[in-house]
Amino acid sequence: MENVIEIKNLKKYFGTVKAVDDISLNVKKGQLFAFLGLNGAGKSTTINILVGILEKDSGECLINNKSIENINAILPEIGIVFQSSILDKNLSVYENLKYRAMMYDLTNEQFEKNLTFFVENLEMKDILTKPLDKLSGGQKRKVDIARALIHKPSILILDEPTTGLDPKTRSLVWQLVNNLRKKENLSVLLTTHYMEEAVESDFVVIMDNGKIVATGTPNQLKNKYANDYVKLFNYDKKILKILEKEKITFQKNKEFLLIEFKNTMLAKNFVVENKHLIFDLEILKGKMDDVFLNVTGKNLKENL
Amino acid sequence: MKSELKKMKYLISRNIKLYFKDKFTFFVSLITPFILFILFVTFLKTTYENNLEAIIQNYSVNKKIINAFTGGWLFSSVLSTSCITVAFCSGMMVLDKITKANIDFCVSPVKNSTLQISYVVANLITTLIVCSILFFIGLLYLTFIGFYLSFSDIILIVFNMILTSLLGCLIANIIWTFASSQGVVSSVCTLISAMYGFICGAYMPINTMGETIKNVTVFFPGTYATLLFRKGFLNGTLNEMGKTLPNEMVEEIAKSFDCSFKFFGNSVSTATMFLVLIGSITIFFIILFLVSKLKRKSK
Ligand SMILES: Nc1ncnc2c1ncn2[C@@H]1O[C@H](COP(=O)(O)OP(=O)(O)OP(=O)(O)O)[C@@H](O)[C@H]1O
Ligand SMILES: [Mg+2]
Repeated sequence: MENVIEIKNLKKYFGTVKAVDDISLNVKKGQLFAFLGLNGAGKSTTINILVGILEKDSGECLINNKSIENINAILPEIGIVFQSSILDKNLSVYENLKYRAMMYDLTNEQFEKNLTFFVENLEMKDILTKPLDKLSGGQKRKVDIARALIHKPSILILDEPTTGLDPKTRSLVWQLVNNLRKKENLSVLLTTHYMEEAVESDFVVIMDNGKIVATGTPNQLKNKYANDYVKLFNYDKKILKILEKEKITFQKNKEFLLIEFKNTMLAKNFVVENKHLIFDLEILKGKMDDVFLNVTGKNLKENL
Repeated sequence: MKSELKKMKYLISRNIKLYFKDKFTFFVSLITPFILFILFVTFLKTTYENNLEAIIQNYSVNKKIINAFTGGWLFSSVLSTSCITVAFCSGMMVLDKITKANIDFCVSPVKNSTLQISYVVANLITTLIVCSILFFIGLLYLTFIGFYLSFSDIILIVFNMILTSLLGCLIANIIWTFASSQGVVSSVCTLISAMYGFICGAYMPINTMGETIKNVTVFFPGTYATLLFRKGFLNGTLNEMGKTLPNEMVEEIAKSFDCSFKFFGNSVSTATMFLVLIGSITIFFIILFLVSKLKRKSK
């Protein structure tokens, strides 16, 4: 499949802060590409370099096989939602969208047609004539997304698009994005802190301190980095002895016993071997949250 | 090229709309004309009248002409300061940096030069709108107290108004290229509003200032803008005075009220004054161009 975004050995330092430290990645056409990492990992910096807001120190970036050195040739292909809203607070939603759309050489008919599409799909009819600073945070976010898509780009870059959205609006946004992916083969580069969004993606890259620390499809990552858990609600106390003897990590509380396994196979074998000691159980597959926290060196067990 | 012009049109109308939504800067920029007006009503008018009488001495001049003269002086001052202060008090380029709207334009396929020019043009249009209103008020006032402006005087004033505002806008936008906080805009705006009236001779004729200051002011392009406004507003009344007063006396009045001007002993013609203005505009345009090129590179 052809690459729409290619990043090779990209570096960007802010003084001593190695914001982006020699990363390489490819986003393929039509892909939903998730870009994960703790706060300050370097995700926004990478994105800002891609769209020409920041100058890179070294490395190469290609978008649709064109170098970002000539950014104006690439920009019509890109729609971007920034981490924070950057539209004109004193202008109405309509004025904002109109003025921004006109930077892309749309005719008035094209603009009205695209606008109608997003107004319907993002349910913005009631806010269209309101000034931006009279909108709620979530309403503003919808306008940001409409702004990014108003010229029908082929690549959509989303920097934490759904932070602060209620579940209904969030699903509205994802419906729209998925709809466009299906119909127009839109490629999406997404950064998010919501793991349930990352799970839906085709490919995941996890960044930590400017470096890429893990890559793969969500399933590959889960198999590699996530632990499986067996939760026992009703069991023979003898099982604790076995766990201690075999040095298997576990946690015990009033309601259940939680046992950690590297993978599903080990969990299954343990349950089969000790079936006479187990009366009620639940097997939990590893989640994206696990992957994220294991890769970035944090522990989530207490959250389970 | 055509598409860049269309983009520019929309950017300009956006900038103008945003300017008029921000009522605060709009009113701040009207502080100088307002102060001038108050000063005029309270004591400047009498001062000018006394100065005139000192020159005229035993001759008598119709009260209507005197009123037209002082009124013309007031509004030439108002315009010469407003063209600059109104231009300086709208820092749209800086506001865009504060609200990060500039980033959105950075990721839109629009040329940096298109953006820059649209800031200057929008700035120019808003300044001209405000100044035209003031000019209109001036014409109305003069119609009531004594109107001696010819059609060519009005053309001169309008033309000069455009040039002066353009000069102000260019200089302001050069400064805005380096500024990135509201504080800078407010302080530059306040400073210019407070100071400019003095340097350009809006409150007191340049002729009454000390030799050193006089020698410095001849190098400010703004001085020539003021002088041209004086000419436009006062030529008619001076001609009218010429009907009853001896020539030397009219020349003396013209000199002490900045209607004629000498550059180190040589008198400066209207055409030369315009050339100085146009030359300065060209220079500042080039500076703005270079400065924004430089800025673009050091991201
Ligand atoms: N303009 C800048 N000047 C100096 N340092 C910066 C600048 N922008 C970012 N940084 C630093 O670079 C590092 C990466 O920041 P970046 O914004 O890319 O993180 P992020 O992954 O987007 O984080 P978040 O999830 O919080 O949005 C941080 O340590 C940040 O402090
Ligand atoms: Mg970020």
